[in-house]
Amino acid sequence: MAKKDKSRQKKFDTRIDFTPMVDMNMLLITFFMLCTTMLKSQTLDLALPTNDKVDKEEETKIQESNAITFILDATVDKDGLKASNSKLYYYTGQGTEEGAQLKDITFGNGKDQIRGFLQERNKALLKEVNKLKERWKKGEIADTTYNNEVKKAQARQAQDLTAKRPIVIIKPTANACYADVVRMLDEMQISKVSTFMLQSLNKTDSTLYEQKVGHPLGAK
Amino acid sequence: MGKVKIKKKSTVIDMTAMSDVTVLLLTFFMLTSTFLQKEPVQVITPPATSENKVPDEKLVQVLIAPDGKVYMNLTGAKDSTQLSTEAFRTEVLQYAYEKYGETHPGMPKLTVKQTKEFSKIGTFGVPMKDLTKWLDMPLEKRDEFLKEKGGIPIAMSVKEGNRNEFQTWLLAVKHVMGSRGEEMGRELIGGKCIAIKAGQDSPFSHVQMVMDNLQTEKLNKFVLMTSLKVEEEEK
Repeated sequence: MAKKDKSRQKKFDTRIDFTPMVDMNMLLITFFMLCTTMLKSQTLDLALPTNDKVDKEEETKIQESNAITFILDATVDKDGLKASNSKLYYYTGQGTEEGAQLKDITFGNGKDQIRGFLQERNKALLKEVNKLKERWKKGEIADTTYNNEVKKAQARQAQDLTAKRPIVIIKPTANACYADVVRMLDEMQISKVSTFMLQSLNKTDSTLYEQKVGHPLGAK
Repeated sequence: MGKVKIKKKSTVIDMTAMSDVTVLLLTFFMLTSTFLQKEPVQVITPPATSENKVPDEKLVQVLIAPDGKVYMNLTGAKDSTQLSTEAFRTEVLQYAYEKYGETHPGMPKLTVKQTKEFSKIGTFGVPMKDLTKWLDMPLEKRDEFLKEKGGIPIAMSVKEGNRNEFQTWLLAVKHVMGSRGEEMGRELIGGKCIAIKAGQDSPFSHVQMVMDNLQTEKLNKFVLMTSLKVEEEEK
């Protein structure tokens, strides 16, 4: 009797259909993919001078030497939300010399554009950096060594008062486009400019600006 | 003539392997994901070639909306015994509110519930006088308020030594981070803890305003948030 019963027991199929499970998982994956940020934002480091008056002396020292001042400008729309139509000017030296005036320049990596302009003036350092880069590409030196060496070269150049190097002063007007300012700071990194600073426009700049554009700063 | 026998194939596919893969993917996404932060405004950060990553701990993020409104977001340390996000937010709130109360008598007292509520909020930024009211609001109203009437007052105060509200918040951040040992205070001054996030089309005057305020509080170093731009290697 018992034997008969056992043989009659139905054989269950042990396979489970996984299709609904997969469906659900796919939905969950989609959810996670849409709700997450994989790309983390990048950052640019920026150090401003302190507000203290101590720096006055240093400031004048820099202005004597081969300074290049860039003035960034743009037009802000009526609501004051969006800056567009950006302009870029520069002058060399202090800007108070006879015949000093603003010249136009554009963003880009051409010879007459900002990249070429800066790299032409920073040749000596870039040569050194390129040598390091070659070695880094061949795998002779590690990432960190490369970065450190570049920094060291920059510091050496900054200490050497006779070295020919650009000292860049970036002066955005109130209307300047934020993206342009960041781009300018980025150009400094790319061209390995060892000294650059972000400043507000002073009287000299305003005068030059008015001469160039034909209306005073801030006026539409 | 040989007849080609067509074999009858079962149309059932074994989904087990597929299931394995999806579960793996799911696990990957769950572990690596950080959820999108809810922000009152979406801004597109300007492109740059820099590859430094935004720190994901001990961060004070200053968000600048296109109309110049300023919001803040505080994140504590990963090691929560050092300074958890909740503790960071709570202590900053208490300190800033107290400092503000010193010059503005008659402010309503912060309740424990309001403080607790604040510690859960990512991006904040309402004037101090609306703060308690804002914290009592239901969630969806809060977002609306943040968008419409939000923004931390940031205009430079005329009288020297008077702090505006943004500077008061910064002072509180400095105080709280400084209270957790010298090292953390140095990190803040060293500029890895403050990130400015602004839209690429914003007029620079908005950003300048924030920078001026940071400078006034002697926080001269900070980072600007950018999105990655790939550039071809130039000769």
